Order: sequence, then structure tokens, then C-alpha cells
Amino acid sequence: MTMRLTRRTFLATSAAAGSLTFLGPRSLHAATNGTLRFGLSAYPPSFDAWASSGTAAGTVKLLIHRGLMSFAPDGSLRGELAESWEVDDQGAWVFKLRDATWQDGSPVTAEDIAWNVAEASKPDSTAFLRGQLQTITKVETPDDTTVRMITEEPSAVLPGWFAHYNMPMIKKGEAVDTTMGAGPFKLDATDRGVSLTFSAFDGYYKKGLPKLAGVKATVYADENLRVAALQAGDIDLIEYVPWQAMEQIEQNDQLKLDAVDGPFMYLTFNGKRAPFDDPKVRRAVAHAIKREDIVAAAFYGRGGTLAHLPIADGSAFYNPDLADGWAYDPDKAKQLLAEAGHPDGFDCTMLSTAQYGMHQSTAEVCQAYLSMVGINVKLDLPEWSTRVQKGNQGDYDLAVMGTTAANNDPDGLSDIIDGSLPASFVRSYGLETPEISGYLKKGRTTFDEQKRKEIYAEMEKVAIETTPIVGLCWRSQGYGMKPNVTGFTNMPGQLTFYSGVTLEETALG
Amino acid sequence: MLRYVAYRSIVAIFLVWVVVTLVFLLLHLVPGDPAELLLSQGATAADPQAVANLRERLGLNDPLWLQYAHHIGGILTGDLGTSFRDGASVAGQIVQRLPRTLEVIITAALIAVAAGVPAGTLAAIRAGGWVDNVISFLSSLALSTPVFVVGSVVILVFAQELRIVPAGGYVAFAVDPLRHLMLLLLPAGTVALALWAVIARMSRASVLDVLERDHVRTARAKGLSRRRILTRHVVRNAMIPVLTVLGLEMGTLIGGTVLVEFVFNWPGLSGYLVSAVDARDYPEVVGIVMVISILFVFLNLVVDVVYAVLDPRISLAR
Repeated sequence: MTMRLTRRTFLATSAAAGSLTFLGPRSLHAATNGTLRFGLSAYPPSFDAWASSGTAAGTVKLLIHRGLMSFAPDGSLRGELAESWEVDDQGAWVFKLRDATWQDGSPVTAEDIAWNVAEASKPDSTAFLRGQLQTITKVETPDDTTVRMITEEPSAVLPGWFAHYNMPMIKKGEAVDTTMGAGPFKLDATDRGVSLTFSAFDGYYKKGLPKLAGVKATVYADENLRVAALQAGDIDLIEYVPWQAMEQIEQNDQLKLDAVDGPFMYLTFNGKRAPFDDPKVRRAVAHAIKREDIVAAAFYGRGGTLAHLPIADGSAFYNPDLADGWAYDPDKAKQLLAEAGHPDGFDCTMLSTAQYGMHQSTAEVCQAYLSMVGINVKLDLPEWSTRVQKGNQGDYDLAVMGTTAANNDPDGLSDIIDGSLPASFVRSYGLETPEISGYLKKGRTTFDEQKRKEIYAEMEKVAIETTPIVGLCWRSQGYGMKPNVTGFTNMPGQLTFYSGVTLEETALG
Repeated sequence: MLRYVAYRSIVAIFLVWVVVTLVFLLLHLVPGDPAELLLSQGATAADPQAVANLRERLGLNDPLWLQYAHHIGGILTGDLGTSFRDGASVAGQIVQRLPRTLEVIITAALIAVAAGVPAGTLAAIRAGGWVDNVISFLSSLALSTPVFVVGSVVILVFAQELRIVPAGGYVAFAVDPLRHLMLLLLPAGTVALALWAVIARMSRASVLDVLERDHVRTARAKGLSRRRILTRHVVRNAMIPVLTVLGLEMGTLIGGTVLVEFVFNWPGLSGYLVSAVDARDYPEVVGIVMVISILFVFLNLVVDVVYAVLDPRISLAR
């Protein structure tokens, strides 16, 4: 039987097909395959795969790229492009690649991985992990799916580097700011400064993932507007829920909050200048500040006190006996000051920034408490860019800082407490910490978990004594979402900014 | 007239050059290193060697005069350079964002003039009466309420409570004209509020002044209708100071809608300028400031030309 195509049959068929396209996707996929509308706090300053370009850029990288490794929602290390990883007899790390493809359809090969390591560690590279990667002396690719990395000395923490969102893998020969990766989503369109549109990559190596058909990320730089947009139903998920709005979201039946204590606030010192070149004076500062007031004033009670090194109590490396190492004790602070030759206190300048309320409020609380032990603090509150430069150049006596560690392993604290590293605003200036640097190095080359725990416990003990930084408080980092958003997890502790990795599991119920 | 415009244009070019040079120098004077900032996003420690590499790549290690020469050379050949952050073309970004800001300002100006001139005129002819008092009170209120307060209230009422409009944002006109206009009305209405107050007050003062003039008395004596006197002889003459203020206010708004753009998430030029300054993105800052100064100077020129049209006694011939 043949069917003649007349105007009438054509119209009828078109109408039927048209209505099917309306009916089909809705009834079949509406539950899981929607497009998630994500409210970002900033537009990625660049798409440079290996540079540290902030958390919004990190989330975007976790959508389009994958590294050799990643962290699972529970915080454990897991393989991504690498199916397995182990240290061989000669102390080299061997990664076995799984069957994965780039978004252009070509396979991910060992050669691609070797090229990434070589490029990111080049002398002229701007990669965040350039320094670490330079300790990899050789990368071998015995076959298409095996990568063998030889390091200067054995490294227990190497897989963690490759789990960092600032170390995703890109295809050999691609520009470093390519948006073509091996991740679950493809970047379809961008409106610089405004929004980014992603669609699911159907060749993603995890079967059945991603669950969403796409993600539409819109930048809401104003935190209040971000919350308003969530409440108004314009978006499904927001990052960086402001602390003052957390309660409001929790109490709203139409919304839910997923918050973890991850980032932390602390004080850094100028170790090149008196009086903070004296560990007793630094420790006096640590005992002089009542941390509950910082949590209340700067974070609306959303966070927790931190009177030791920033190792969370959920971590295997947490030392309960040291947890109150820098507990609030003004008498002890005064006594330490007297011992250090400052019974009547002294004047100094505290660097913070007026650009971020939490930094300013933290500084104000510290100022108030320090004045009670005789330390007269003058606040220096420039905008952030100037604050960064002053921090890098040591143009301060003591400073308020807030950040996260690289990951939940104590080695992730290196950037913050290792005085052998070059000057940076994230750590104290010109403050040598030979013992701590030694423990960090030892921890990095030790593979036995129990031994590592002992090493880091010793390290924390020394840190409490010598006080290279002063831990102040944990601050809550929250994502707000509609109740129908499932599978998105705010990852534990220092990994909160890695949470974008769980967007592959996210669905709209 | 043509000679006047030509003369003013030459002065304008000189002024723009002065502005660009000043901005360039000031940017290099204030602390903050673009390479350092870019690589320490998210409060992370940047590798000093990586920063040095980026500085080299961005040409920041060249002597200042050479950077300046490159920049001015680029501008003279119509090249505003590329962003330090992601290499995006500065001119391209301005072309994309400037119309969005102009759209807000022009819409706001139209609303403000349409509502402000009649309100001011009405207040003037009813000077001292309750209408005058109400208009004076409302304009004081509008002037003294900061835009972020107005903006937040607008979002709270119209987006969160009534859900008539989205909570800020931007959709291109080509994509969804209706949504575009709805989103435009939020920032434009907010800007218009303060502008309305300025225009209403200026109109009131100016109309009051003109009402006392001889030619108005003569017109009345001639037996012209009140309406005709008002529209032909009073308001038209009263518009010159109002126009001056409007021109200046609009010029200021081109770079000054930061708060409104921030509150309503409107991706215009002002917000772009602030983010560029924050990141110490020199080519972007210089490019944007240059465009704003050109517009400002141009707007003043337009105001001068319109004077002549409104008041034939003003001659532009030199």
C-alpha cells in the first residue's frame, strides 16, 4: 500500500508529530531529565583548566571536565578517568585508564594524560599545581591505558593532586582554556558575565549519567538577589547562601538547605617584624579571642569555633586532645605577653578588608578582644585587591584571612602553615616553620595511614606551641535548593567547593 | 554651527585623551597586581613563578611608558585590546554591554521626563497649594531613598510576594521580547524614580521663574489661552535648565548605574567596569572609561545643540 502525500495528509502528519514532540519529552523525561537552573555567585574569570580561578570556575570545570581522580560525595578519593591507581615496587604511581572519550568522540589515552602533566608543569605554566607537578620527574605510557608517574621521592598525596578541580585533563593539543573535556556536560553557549548553558554529554563514561538534560547557570552576583531568585522560583539551586538567609531557607517548606562547615577564618602574622616574630606573642593572641563572638557577629551563628589547626572533627586526622589548644583564656594571654616582655601590651595594625563583611566583622571582634589584653589594634581595611597585595608583600602586623584547604588531608594545609613556601597572603609572612615543614614533608612521603596520623598529631602539637597561624572559626558553606532537586550533595569539609562533581548525579524529581 | 561642533569635537578628543592617560596612570599607581589576583582567586596561594609567567604573558613586565605606548597605539588603530582575564575583546564586550546600560538610562529618562515635567509644571502653577506640597514631598522621598533600598523593595514586592516579574536578570530582546521589557522596567523604573524627582523639582523652579517674566504677562494680556501660554511660552522656555540637568544626570548614569545593575542583575556597562576594576583588568578599565568619557562629552555637546533649537537667541556660531 502506498500513501500519497497530499496537503491534507502532510498537515495531519505534521500536527501529530508536533503534538508528539510536546507530549513525548514531558511524559517520558520530565521527572529526571530536566534542565537545572543554577544560580552562580560569579562568572568564571577564565576557562583556564589548570589555573586557580575561583569556586564558580571550579564548578564549571567540574561540569565539563574530569580529572584522573575525584572525590566521592562522602569525601573519599575515587577514580574518574583512572579506573585504578597504585604504587608499584619502585615507588611510582601507576594509573590504569578506563574506557572514556573526549566530547569530540576521540578516546582518552595515556598519551593525553602524560601531555597534561608535561604542559601544566612547564616552567612558563600558570597551573595552580605547577609546583607539585614539577616533583614528577617522568611520566611513562607503557600502553594506551597505563600512565606511570615517577616522582623525586615517594608521594602518598599525589592522587589527591589529580582529584583537584584545578587539575582536570584536557585532550592533547587543546588550548588550556578549552571547554571541550571528558566531563558529563558540554558547554553549548556563554553570555560573558551573565550565563552559561550546558547540555548532557551522551558519550560520558559513566553509564546513565548525567541524569539532567542540561544545566543553565546564571550569575547572581548579589547574594540577596540570589536568594530572592530561588524564593521566586526563577532558579532551582544556588551556591553561597548568605548566612543571614540560611534560617529563612530552612524554615521555608518550598526550599531546602545543604550546609557544611568547610571554609575557615584565621589570623596570619608578619614573622619578620616584632612583636609577632615571637611565638609567645602569637600564642597570646590565640588565647585572647573568644571565638563564639566571631561566629555570632560575622556568620550569624552559622559555623563553629576553631581553636586548633583547621582539621575537622569528622576527619581521621582530628586530634581531640588538641582541640582546645588555643582556647579562650585571657589570663593566659596576659601571662604570655608578660613573659614575652610586653606586660603593658603594644600597638599594631591588623589587615583585613572592607570588601567582605565577614572579614571586616571578624577583624572587629578580634580587635575588641585583643584590646582587653592590652594589644591596641588599628584596623587596615582596604578593598580586596589591595589586601591581597599587602598580604603578599608583608605590609601588615597581623591579618584576618579566610579560605579552604586543598582537600581534607592534613597535607592540604601546607599552603596555609608551611613557612618554607614562598610568600603568600594566605599564610603568615616571613615566618619560618622548620619543624612543621619537616612533618609535612614526612607525611607526604609516608604511605602507612597510622603513621601519617601520628606525624600530623605531632605536627599539630608543634603548631599549637609555635602558632604559625591562629584558627578562629569554621564558617558554614551552604547550597540552597528546591525540594525536587535530588542527588546534589554539599561535600564534606574542605571539599565543599568540589560539590559541582555531584551535578552528574543530580536530577529534578 | 558646524564650526562650533568641529571645535567642540577637537576639545572632546583632547579631554578623552586626558581621561584615558589619567586612568591608565592611576590604575598602575593603586596597589593590586592583575596577574596575582587572577591566579589567587578563591583565596588560594598563587605560585610566584606562575604569577611571573602570567605577568610576562600579559606584558606587565614592560616599562610603563612602553605599556602606555602600546595602549594608546592600540586605541588609535581602533583596538581596545583584550581582557587580562580571559582574552575577550574589550571592544566586543563594550559593544555588547553599552546598549544594555543605555537602554536602562534612556527608558528611565523617558519615564522621568514624561512624569517629571508635568508634575513640576503642575506644582509651579499650583505653587503653595496641596498639589505642590504632595509633589514636593514625593520628590524629596524619591531623592532621599537610595536605589538599593528601592530595588530591594521592588524585588521583594513584585518578584517574591506577587511573583509578577522575575527577580532580576537579563534576557535578550530577540530571545523573549516581553520578558526583556519586564526585566528592563525594574532597573529603568528604579533609576527613573530619582531622576523624576530631580526633573520635577527643576521644572517647578524653572516654570515658576518663567511665569513671572514679561513675555508671559504680555501673552496673557494678548488674551492667549492659558493652555497655549503654558505650552508655547512657559514650559518651552523653562525647559533649558531642565535639559542641562537631564544631560548631566544621564552622563553620570552611564558609569553610575552600578548599584541598580547589581541589585537587578542587569549586565550593563557599570557592573562590567566595577568587576574590571576589582580584577585590575587594565585594558577593560581603560576601554570602558574611555567610552564613558566619550559619551559624556558627546551628551554635553548634544545638550548645547538642543539649547539652540529650544532658544533661538542662543547662537552656536563663534
